[in-house]
Amino acid sequence: MPQVKIIARNFMDMVAALPAMKLDQLYQNAFICEAILRSLPPLAKKYVIQMLYIEEAVTTKSIEEWVLPDGLSKHKVAIDRLLQLRIFSEAFDRSSGTSYRLNPTFQTNLQKHITCGGVLPREPMPSSITARLPSLEDLAVFALEQWECFLLQLINSTQAEKMTNISPSMMRIFQRGLLTQRDKEPPRLTESGFQFLLMDTNAQLWYIIREYISNSEERDVDSADLISFLLELSFHATGEAYNMNTLTEVQRNTLKDLADLGLVKLQQGRKESWFIPTKLTTNLSVSLTDSSSRKEGFVVVETNFRIYAYSTSKLHCEILRLFSRIEYQLPNLIVGAITKESLYNAFDNGITAEQIISFLQQNAHPRVSERVPSVPENVTDQIRLWESDLNRVEMTPAHFYDEFPTRDVFEAACDFAREYGGLLWEDSKKMRLVVKTDVHMHMREHLRRQRQ
Amino acid sequence: MASAPSKLYTDDVSLLVVLLDANPFFWSASSLPFSKFISHVISFLNSVLLLNQLNQIVVIATGHNCCDYVYDSSSPASRSVGTGKLSALSVDLLEKLEEFVGRDEKLLKKEPEGSIASSLLSGSLSMALCYIQRVFRSGPRHPHPRILCLHGSQDGPEQYVAIMNAIFSAQRSMVPIDSCFIGAQNSAFLQQASYITGGVYLKPQLLEGTFQYLSTVFGTDLHSRGFLQLPKSVGVDFRASCFCHKKTIDMGYICSVCLSIFCKHHKKCSTCGSVFGQPHSEVASEPNKKRKAGDT
Repeated sequence: MPQVKIIARNFMDMVAALPAMKLDQLYQNAFICEAILRSLPPLAKKYVIQMLYIEEAVTTKSIEEWVLPDGLSKHKVAIDRLLQLRIFSEAFDRSSGTSYRLNPTFQTNLQKHITCGGVLPREPMPSSITARLPSLEDLAVFALEQWECFLLQLINSTQAEKMTNISPSMMRIFQRGLLTQRDKEPPRLTESGFQFLLMDTNAQLWYIIREYISNSEERDVDSADLISFLLELSFHATGEAYNMNTLTEVQRNTLKDLADLGLVKLQQGRKESWFIPTKLTTNLSVSLTDSSSRKEGFVVVETNFRIYAYSTSKLHCEILRLFSRIEYQLPNLIVGAITKESLYNAFDNGITAEQIISFLQQNAHPRVSERVPSVPENVTDQIRLWESDLNRVEMTPAHFYDEFPTRDVFEAACDFAREYGGLLWEDSKKMRLVVKTDVHMHMREHLRRQRQ
Repeated sequence: MASAPSKLYTDDVSLLVVLLDANPFFWSASSLPFSKFISHVISFLNSVLLLNQLNQIVVIATGHNCCDYVYDSSSPASRSVGTGKLSALSVDLLEKLEEFVGRDEKLLKKEPEGSIASSLLSGSLSMALCYIQRVFRSGPRHPHPRILCLHGSQDGPEQYVAIMNAIFSAQRSMVPIDSCFIGAQNSAFLQQASYITGGVYLKPQLLEGTFQYLSTVFGTDLHSRGFLQLPKSVGVDFRASCFCHKKTIDMGYICSVCLSIFCKHHKKCSTCGSVFGQPHSEVASEPNKKRKAGDT
């Protein structure tokens, strides 16, 4: 599998990276405690619940007794995570060793949640005021449309029909890292940009939200406030209307941006205005953990290198265009072919063969996904072969040595380099050799010693 | 991103079916009042729902004469908003439970006197398994199901066959049955259920700490069980009940055709109708149709 550099999950790392003061402040909010608890690894969740009513510190020894020997690595991960997020605080005592206890604010908030149950952050508006709300299906369509429109605009596609209201400066921030712009050339997708397009919607959403948050200071918005607002938002019920008056000015501005992303739908009544969270919002806290709502695939690859993609989405078409030649488009079907030229084009853009193959496999149409392999072997092999064609020459930084005084010195130097695994080439007739750069310093030392 | 496409749910998503003993005969004699116990249970249920938004809980009340669903976290009705101090879950659950106890009481009047005041565990176990089967069939995406019996009443030997059948069907569909037994004596049925299905059987020492027991032991999702120390069964009571008088027996007769158990010798098997020969002390030449059961 290719290493995905843009990791959607490290939103929690971002929370963990907040200064202690801000983090403690965040835990004042019960929803954040809940969202963060849900994002923890299973074992860590277990420990929190287990220690929920223990007011004293628990020694590491007794915690370790909870786990089986097989689970020690998972145990370490869990404890590290808890310490990172400052849910556990560490204390050291000479007699009993290290001990942990729960963050008191976090603890009381969760205790409250457990005894009183979860409550919604705000009351939905009565239907008498809001009259007719869009149905859940309409809302889902709206969210998807808005999101695709945003993505198309993000990758600077000419296919984007309507423009979102996101300011160009904001768009540039989102595009940072995904697109490269060379002088007088249209911007192109970078390697991470391609990976971004391959991620599922939730992961993409978090990437964008993360950029949005990390940029918040420039807009004079406190990032901790923004995080807490976003997490709180995710606990609202989908499809219900909530009054805008309950929000602060900053939050209202944030909502406008979120509406452009399709996270909320804004509506105006006669007197009041309200927002309706869409499925994307409720998925915000879901996608913190490894979200599992994988969509159904749509691509069928045949052994003759043709691709049939059952999709109406322009975005899918754009993605396929990155590495294949689109031949024709029907209302619900995109037909293309993987050709050597189209692939060279993709490789030029920094896309690897593995990424393309894993994209095709992950998005395989349900009809073919049951087959093993879901993408015909001859196609995957050929993609890999074409890629390796480009990598015939391998570059290694190296140093060149010549003019050895005697053959003995030369041979000793060769042996020395060989010993270090750094000998790349030798010409014993003319007494020349090429050594990897990593070994160069050792080599110099060695030669100096020889001379003495 | 790296997860296999076939893995549609994260490892720790669980469907917990709780069988709650609501037998008035047991609770009237219990040292822990039912109200206290139920508050522990509600806290526990809240904590399970808190752990993962995909977690699902179903509560089935087991009465003396009947059993019924009293809470289902996936049904749209249960998503109502909590009011003030009480959560939506507890409002829903307590309301339904009250209704249930009333219904259970009405059924009681028709019962003859003199039997053991056991709960209808076989009924609620079967209901739980039916529910789980429905979830299994609903599609490829479903959480890991498990059953938790919060039971206190004595075993009713007359339910032996039904309970054993339920246990075996749970075993077949790989559903572990956990049991938290709050009564005075250990329950042989639940010990066997947990033993056979690979669940955990626990008899808490201090009933005041029920929440801690529940969250520590029974809150563990099936995925984490691979890494955690959980209570191991000390001994399991494997005794069976006879089919004829529903008595728990150490030793008895078994039909060699259908494996029905009897406490004394019969001429004919009441289950499959096979005709038995006369009991002989020595090995008879004719095909011997009865055999003594060991205390397995």
